[in-house]
Amino acid sequence: MADLRDLVRDRLREVLDPETGRDLVAMGMIYAIAEEAGHVTIVMTTTTRGCPLTEMLRQGVEAAVSRLDGVCVVEVRLTWDPPWTPDRMEPA
Amino acid sequence: MIGKQLSRWTMAWFAAALAFLLAALGLAVLGGAGPGLWSSGPGLAVLHLFALGWLCQMMLGSLIQFTPVLAARPLALARLALPALLACSLGTLMLAGGFLALDGWEPGFALLAAAPLPLALAFGLALAMVGATLLAVRGWRQDAGRAVLAALLALAALWVSGAGMALALSGSDTGMVLLPEGMPLHVLLGVGGWLTLSAIGVSYQLFPMFLLAPDRGSRLRDAGFACALLALALVLAGLAALLLGGGTARLLPLAVLASVAAVALYLAEARRMWQARRRPQPELNMQWSRAALGFLGLSALLGGPALWHGGAWAEAAVFAALVGWLSTLTLAQMVKIASFLTWIQVFSPLIGRRPVPMVHELTDARAAGRWLALWVAAAAGGTAALLAGFAPGFRLAALGLLLAALGLCREVVLIRRLRHLAADRRPALLPPIILPPSPRRPDHDHPRTAGA
Repeated sequence: MADLRDLVRDRLREVLDPETGRDLVAMGMIYAIAEEAGHVTIVMTTTTRGCPLTEMLRQGVEAAVSRLDGVCVVEVRLTWDPPWTPDRMEPA
Repeated sequence: MIGKQLSRWTMAWFAAALAFLLAALGLAVLGGAGPGLWSSGPGLAVLHLFALGWLCQMMLGSLIQFTPVLAARPLALARLALPALLACSLGTLMLAGGFLALDGWEPGFALLAAAPLPLALAFGLALAMVGATLLAVRGWRQDAGRAVLAALLALAALWVSGAGMALALSGSDTGMVLLPEGMPLHVLLGVGGWLTLSAIGVSYQLFPMFLLAPDRGSRLRDAGFACALLALALVLAGLAALLLGGGTARLLPLAVLASVAAVALYLAEARRMWQARRRPQPELNMQWSRAALGFLGLSALLGGPALWHGGAWAEAAVFAALVGWLSTLTLAQMVKIASFLTWIQVFSPLIGRRPVPMVHELTDARAAGRWLALWVAAAAGGTAALLAGFAPGFRLAALGLLLAALGLCREVVLIRRLRHLAADRRPALLPPIILPPSPRRPDHDHPRTAGA
């Protein structure tokens, strides 16, 4: 059976950055995924700290992951330390 | 609430500014402005409808929208955005009407004398919103923040010089010392200090975002900003000297020289950002920003001859800066900002819940590109016509600019109505085109999709 963290990561590949059309994982915006007994914690960032989409992206990640089987609670934490840079993007 | 850091009045600022743009260009087509006509009443009216009504209002509206992104906190005193817009529009209309006094329209003198008041209110409110937000986060420590703060200082000085000259033209003794020597200082403060420094500051933040380029400072950037600050300081010193009864003969050439150096360094910095981009095919707004940067270089090249010879050279330099550089940049970014704001208002609540279109799908890049190409060609034609003193050529260029502006206005309306998306991808309820969505009607924040 696949690790729930892998399922979460796969689900986040379905959430697209509306500017570039690339998913949040490929954009390098997902810093960490942790899971314990159905409690999923995601640490993510945005391309700039003042991004107007910040809260909507956080809620979107929460909504996307909470629909996964086996997930009881989703906690999405935002951080800008370290700040996002284009070097974090996966090769196209 | 959706996008709590978004200004609610951005589209209203844009709409008011576009109305002034169309008015200015319409009057230019009718012969209100042209080679050698810029000091006439109608010429000054057209010039200020364009520079103040169009460009200044677009810049203020953009800064009110952009400052929270830069500061990563909501705009301070955001409720002042609408009063600032109303005061700025009123002041622009009064000033433009007032200039007609120079051609014998008697009521114009009172308008000319009173116009600085609503403009002081508008600029003061904008300074309070943008300045307080940036100062609260020590914005002077950021490249973009310090450029915008310096631009706000130039805006205040721009008002002082403009108000003084308006009062002098209205017949008051106040401000007489600014005529005619204060005119080049006023132009440098407006075109260079306020508008160009603001545009450069915003570009430090937005260009790397749009290009996916590393956003890091450089010695080029520091040197360019130092030159820009030096130019601003020299112009401010010139203004102070005039107000104290002195002259600007030595300061003005140095200010122009520092400005040209600042432009050259900024263009080198922009080239570095372009080359470092991770986005192989930049979108329309960045493609056409390159043309704007070309005009910035052209206006800097014309700066020297403009200072020494004045006349047609000065007209062409200012036209290239206002129409070619600042307006092309503004129009290209306006299409992008309209798409982005519309996307946020309509689709952002659906992220992670269902498939959503990409921001660029809201725009017809081909159509918008055609209008921007016409704008750029007409801007080049207008610059050449002014250099040659060829009035019919200038009117033809103005007609091209007017058609391009109308086309881009139509494109913004189509973006706001989501007309470039297939009908089944459009929600049943859309936010208003110009006015902000009512905070009491969450439907606009969470629109129902047609099939839902």
